[in-house]
Amino acid sequence: MAILDELMRLPGAMAAFEFRGSGELLEHRIAHPDRINPATLDLLAHMCSANMSIAAMQTRGWEQVTAMQGFYPVQEFTLVGFDWSVVVSALRRERCKQAGQSKLPPFTGIVLANESADYEAVFALLERSEPAA
Amino acid sequence: MSMIRRLLALDGVNVICHFRDDGSFVEGYGLMSHDDMVRLAHFAHDYRRMIQGNADQLAMFTGMRGWTPPRGWIIQGATQSVCGVGNLVCVVDPTGAPLNDILLELREVSHW
Repeated sequence: MAILDELMRLPGAMAAFEFRGSGELLEHRIAHPDRINPATLDLLAHMCSANMSIAAMQTRGWEQVTAMQGFYPVQEFTLVGFDWSVVVSALRRERCKQAGQSKLPPFTGIVLANESADYEAVFALLERSEPAA
Repeated sequence: MSMIRRLLALDGVNVICHFRDDGSFVEGYGLMSHDDMVRLAHFAHDYRRMIQGNADQLAMFTGMRGWTPPRGWIIQGATQSVCGVGNLVCVVDPTGAPLNDILLELREVSHW
């Protein structure tokens, strides 16, 4: 998974991971096993999956009520915690949906240490990543 | 001039709203009707509480410190993003927007 290795090279990267739409953890990389482990990543992935679904409901509702556009589909979700952040992306999935593909790639995520996190670099990398074959 | 209004000077920031701890609207500026700003404030308040609950549960289940209390959140849509920090929420056109600076500025202003 080249994208995970690229994410791990970003400032503050603690872990990079992929997960199914239902939340199960798939591939992952961990830079500091003493701070974060696969079991934590799995729970984090489930939390992010739930948040992506809720955000999709909210943005659809928002667009219906306000007639504003551009909020749906949700492409990325970021939680900035006290010391750590997690950024998850559905961009590869959305590109496959737009291409009419029925089999969708997983979500991609990264855990960052806030003190050195560069969110713009994360978004730029996730946005230029190629759709999965 | 309102302190939060200066956030509109950052590239990409189109709307900024301030709400109370109960979600009620305090003030807002930018390219959005007053009614929609009130809705945005309520949404941001609800979302903040949900994020807080998620972070609390994640910390409880994993024993990993450092997630809570959360500082903020970003939802990025097709062409619009929404960022929340404290009792502030803003709508951003993310194309070329300095999101690192926007988050820092939101954090600073939210402490006033």
